[in-house]
Amino acid sequence: MAAPQGGHFGRILEIDLTRQEHKVVNIDAEICRAYIGGAGLAVHLLFDALKAKHDPMAEDSPIFVGPGPLNGTYCVSTRVSFANKSPYTGLLSHAETGGHFPNEIKWAGWDGIFIRGRSKSPVYLYIKDDEVRFMDARAIWGKDTYETEEMILNQIKEPYARVACIGPAGENEVPYACVIVERFRAAARTSTGCLMGNKKLKGIAVRGTKAVPVVDMDKFYAAARVSKQFAVDNEGWQGLKRWGTAGLLELKHFVTGSLITKNFQTTWYPDIEEIGAEQANRSFWQKHSACNHCPVHCMKLGVIRGGDYDGLIAEGPEYETGGLLGSNLGIADFDGMMAAIELCDAMGLDSISTGGCLGFTMELVQRGILTSADLDGVSLEWGDFEAVLEMIKKITYKEGKAGKLLAKGVRRMAEEIGKGSMDYAVHVKGKEIAAHDPRGDKPRAVSYTMGTCGGDHHEANSPAGQAKRCMHNSLVVCSFVGGYWSPKMFTDMLGPLCGWNMTEEEFWTTAKRIRTLERCFQVREGISRKDDVLPKRMLTEKLPEGPKKGAVVTPAEMKKIQDDYYAYYGWDDNGIPTEATLKALGLEFAIDQIKGA
Amino acid sequence: MEKDGERIRNVFETEATRRGFLKGVGLATGAAVAAAAVGRIKPAAAAKQAAPEPVKKYLFAERQNCVGCRACEYACSMFHEKTVRPAKARIHVLKYKGVVDVPVICWHCDDAPCIEACPTTPKAIEKDPKANGIKLNKDLCLGAKCNKCIEACPAKFIRRDPDDGQVLMCDLCDGDPECVKACLAQSGNPMGPCLMTGKVGFGVNLAYRNVTPEEAADDLLRRLFYPNETGERRK
Repeated sequence: MAAPQGGHFGRILEIDLTRQEHKVVNIDAEICRAYIGGAGLAVHLLFDALKAKHDPMAEDSPIFVGPGPLNGTYCVSTRVSFANKSPYTGLLSHAETGGHFPNEIKWAGWDGIFIRGRSKSPVYLYIKDDEVRFMDARAIWGKDTYETEEMILNQIKEPYARVACIGPAGENEVPYACVIVERFRAAARTSTGCLMGNKKLKGIAVRGTKAVPVVDMDKFYAAARVSKQFAVDNEGWQGLKRWGTAGLLELKHFVTGSLITKNFQTTWYPDIEEIGAEQANRSFWQKHSACNHCPVHCMKLGVIRGGDYDGLIAEGPEYETGGLLGSNLGIADFDGMMAAIELCDAMGLDSISTGGCLGFTMELVQRGILTSADLDGVSLEWGDFEAVLEMIKKITYKEGKAGKLLAKGVRRMAEEIGKGSMDYAVHVKGKEIAAHDPRGDKPRAVSYTMGTCGGDHHEANSPAGQAKRCMHNSLVVCSFVGGYWSPKMFTDMLGPLCGWNMTEEEFWTTAKRIRTLERCFQVREGISRKDDVLPKRMLTEKLPEGPKKGAVVTPAEMKKIQDDYYAYYGWDDNGIPTEATLKALGLEFAIDQIKGA
Repeated sequence: MEKDGERIRNVFETEATRRGFLKGVGLATGAAVAAAAVGRIKPAAAAKQAAPEPVKKYLFAERQNCVGCRACEYACSMFHEKTVRPAKARIHVLKYKGVVDVPVICWHCDDAPCIEACPTTPKAIEKDPKANGIKLNKDLCLGAKCNKCIEACPAKFIRRDPDDGQVLMCDLCDGDPECVKACLAQSGNPMGPCLMTGKVGFGVNLAYRNVTPEEAADDLLRRLFYPNETGERRK
């Protein structure tokens, strides 16, 4: 077994919460090269650690938190991947998030944290380089994510440590609870928050003082500077620098015709001017905030002045949060929308799924399928942000009939309610889709349907794009910044960093290997072609107005997306990786595992 | 982006030159000064008349512009340690309440309380007369045994090297600070770069140095996020 030369430390921290023990697991240089790190290393570890149909809420069900080889080096905009089998969808899921937390893990000398077991009483982890401590979190349990972070930093007396934690939603095991990193960033869509709550793990604080080993510093520095300069100069980023993703709110309304509105009933929402980026710029934003070494700093912070929410500090709106908790709910009040976004962050709820569930419920109320009597007397009308705030609190604590119902997510809600509500349930593989309507933005259908996690807007819009995105998620770099880098830029950096002589061909093979193993995991859980489809509404209802009036995803288009995708990766007609493909990618061990699935 | 750096530096230098020029021709008639102001006499010609002043640089941070990307830490440790290791950077960024970012820098005080407090003879830290940065003599520094300069620093800037316990001092990279260049290269912050370097008068060091990073952060929070003075969660 050979230790990696550079980029990786070759060490994973394995945490056993039941026994409150930790140990160091060495990883082989070959594994590092074959799966890179982050989401790639995660699927390698989780595929082995879990058997088919393993209960995700079982005590031995793992969470993997993994930075990649580029983290902690001169490369800009690196992130971290949280991966686990999601109790929400029953599938492998991974979420990437930024901030400085990812690099601190790397500087502490770890290629990842593999968490198993379940603590008897609430704990949080404090990792300072090689020192790992299980800290008592009983006093913090029940606090929102902001208080949690502050209390943890005060307790460990290390102001430069970075914290990832869960809020009350995670503690109460709401299936779409997320992990909040550094107060405003979220690793959501994977139910990691729910799992952490189940394991009684309130948070992870990390501080590292090491340096990542680099094989040839001069060459790596030169290559990393090229990619950094590209990030500074590229035109694509100028809008993000100025407006963040909020700028898309207006764009998707006026031009692309894909702004989610009132649970996908239309994409035309003139009130967007009240809640979009321009309004935020006029009345709200105070400061930009960047992930480590990032020249784009797309995160915008602001404070509400005057009115009912005077003094509320919040982040956003981003495109997804502003879309799902703004136009999707028919909200035209900027302060009300920001209060909802902030509440989701504080409670540790995934704003996309929360917005999806609320929009779905509002439509059922509009159509008379549900009444306020079913919702604990709350009348969820379009645009009523006070009712929305109340409902978010109910979901967090699974309070009353309404809280318990909405905390199930749209698929299970529709199954429970019946009465034709399934027609309005917009989800892929059990997860609400994000704020891009695939009828207006057709390439987005690839991301929603073919992406690993299901309903995910951020897995790229073409087969090759998704392969590249697999590499982004494994390296781990931000897909906004890394999205514009060519494979050559990556291999130029990886060569001197890790001592690999990686060709572009190997880059693509590695990407396909990671994507195919992810698929094998999902196939083992019973996923096939029948699941890679958009919800009925996207295939049957034409857009009634807006720039893409009359657009709909036809079954022929859906079929073409699937066929092209399977052909690109060498999977069969049913979306199952073939034996030949698995052998060519060095995944022989998966052949038996997916047989008969 | 280096070009931009040049441009900004040129602006400051041009202004300084013009000021020097006006001082130099103070005895001339008002008409001549007015003529200079409208540019009939080129400042370049005037620069020859002004006596060359010693270049004594300071570091300056416009705190409200910091976005917390830590490019300065990266650049600093690349220059001094030839690797990316922010724990050994001579500049660091404090994130306060998850909201504001404060660059913690050496203000290069003229009275240098750290040097005054240094107990060794000769002093382990001293000012480099060329660039105004502070140089550390590793052979003389007592390391973790001594806490004198750390206690004396009014800005609470000085940190220890995690390896040998010696202090990390900002030497201004011999007059061309890498952190300033890195901050400028991150460009795109609508407010402009946060870190700057310049001559006397530009540094405003004595006015700013007597605040600890936490106090500075608290002040920034009050100013930027008024009316939420404490950054607490409301509602």
